[in-house]
Amino acid sequence: MLGYLHCRTFIPALRPEIYRYGIMRLSNVTFRYRRRAPLVIHDADAHLAPGDVIELTGVNGAGKSTLLRLLAGLARPSTGTITGRPPVVGFAPDRFPSSQPFNVATYLRHMSRVRGGARWEPWAERLNMGHLLGTRLADLSKGSAHKVGLAQALMADPGLLILDEPFAGLDADTREVLPAIATEVAARGGIVIASDHQGGLRGLPGLRHWSMVDGRLKESTTTPLTTPPEPTPPTPALAPSTTAAPPRTTAPPAEPTKPETSSAAQTTVPDASSAPQATVAVTLPADELPRFLARMRDEGYQAREIDAGNHRPRTTGDQPYKTETHRTHTAEDRACKTRRTQATEDRTSEAETRDEDRRARTTEVTG
Amino acid sequence: MIALTVFRLAAYVRSHRVYQALLLTLAMLAIVHGNRAPRGAEAGVLVDGAILLVPILAWAARSLLDTEPDRQREMSAIQVGGRGREVAAGLLAAFTACAVFATSGLLWGLLLGITGSPSPGLLSVAILLYVVAALTGTALGALTSRAIMPSPAFSIMTLLLGFLAMLLVSATSLYWLTVPLTSWMKAANSGALLAQFPQLAAISLAWCLAGLAAYVWLRRRT
Repeated sequence: MLGYLHCRTFIPALRPEIYRYGIMRLSNVTFRYRRRAPLVIHDADAHLAPGDVIELTGVNGAGKSTLLRLLAGLARPSTGTITGRPPVVGFAPDRFPSSQPFNVATYLRHMSRVRGGARWEPWAERLNMGHLLGTRLADLSKGSAHKVGLAQALMADPGLLILDEPFAGLDADTREVLPAIATEVAARGGIVIASDHQGGLRGLPGLRHWSMVDGRLKESTTTPLTTPPEPTPPTPALAPSTTAAPPRTTAPPAEPTKPETSSAAQTTVPDASSAPQATVAVTLPADELPRFLARMRDEGYQAREIDAGNHRPRTTGDQPYKTETHRTHTAEDRACKTRRTQATEDRTSEAETRDEDRRARTTEVTG
Repeated sequence: MIALTVFRLAAYVRSHRVYQALLLTLAMLAIVHGNRAPRGAEAGVLVDGAILLVPILAWAARSLLDTEPDRQREMSAIQVGGRGREVAAGLLAAFTACAVFATSGLLWGLLLGITGSPSPGLLSVAILLYVVAALTGTALGALTSRAIMPSPAFSIMTLLLGFLAMLLVSATSLYWLTVPLTSWMKAANSGALLAQFPQLAAISLAWCLAGLAAYVWLRRRT
């Protein structure tokens, strides 16, 4: 707690540049693609303060990408206003357009010139792209192309960094690096917003969670905690705060609700103050997997399938799938380390995972 | 913006799309200037070459603007600092490509298409006419590019029909309703090119600017 209070008190003072950008505001923003077309975004009110890291979730077609385009300035609101957008915006699309007649180095060199001579080499090294520089963009794998998109978005030190599904297709090493990069952008006063179904940023302290539901923007307070809990009343609609504080100085969200699983797959999460981390393996019928994963993620847990193809059914009848859910409670200065720990755990075998999970109060339930 | 213009020109060349317009230009010039025009016919030859280049230049502009994937166009707009700069960079790149092809057409006509040397007045008018041709091609190509017309079939038909419409309308008394391509050729072949140049140039430039403004408006509207 002492460390937490210390960070809350002194980090803004040590980083005066964190306030070099103003607050970005969305005021009654609606959007439709054509006149008389249905609204894609309904009355979005929100603020994005310097230092915010925001996770945006929602089902396909809910309007996430449209909201990101509005934030990036690629589309204009049909009504309402968006003000305070930082002058330098970085945008990493979910699918990098690799059908371009350049190799990676040439492309990034061109983008660097467009950015006024921004340095892309450090990002290429940090994102493990060194071996790709001579490769034609058209020959890149999806994950490698995604790295190029990230590098071009990051090279200019953006004040607003927009990441559309940033973890999709990335290798484990780069997945571990991204949360730290988001933290750095936020620490120097930038705003990071990421549309993410995979929960890759959920280890970050002060993470804000936005969700798009049928074109309506809501801020959820059920994101996993990474800082000591200071319960605040849940707000169903987006309720912007009035401070320009960085994420590590904002009040943590309320205690997340426990996942309500069916009788076939019940999970238990230990109390936040007593267990820094818990991993729960759940075995359930194959046809229930997508719904279960979606529900766990909506509840704010990291859930992913472990061995969809190789798992042997423990019971006759339905083909079971095995999934894994994570929830982390770490001090902010250990957030990135925790992410690495999770990634390491993800690579362990099922048996090892079960053994580890037993020691870490993990329950496996067969449906 | 200049860096983005260079990026698009580089993509146009490296993708080899440039060869489509280049081959068409060379073929057209070889046909138009297959035989040197006799003395006194310089104006007609140079103007005909400029007018016939317009659809090829439009094709080149459209092809250049379509080289960049849609998603990259969005990323470019963010990187360069706004949609306006991205649109301007695209138009500048398209006009640069058109100007290169138009210059090659003018040089071919001067070196291989006519007998003797044109008068200074005619040379000046020819240079300005080839600039007008490049602007017309840029505007027509931009208005039929994928950002405006997503359907390739519809856009190429619009490009060709647009050129034909300009020819037909400008052959009538309503020539001022479009870039007066036919009027340019008529004036050159009747020996009235220098006399009618101010009027035709003003009409041509006005329609070119209107076309470019329409493109900018359509792009910024989205």
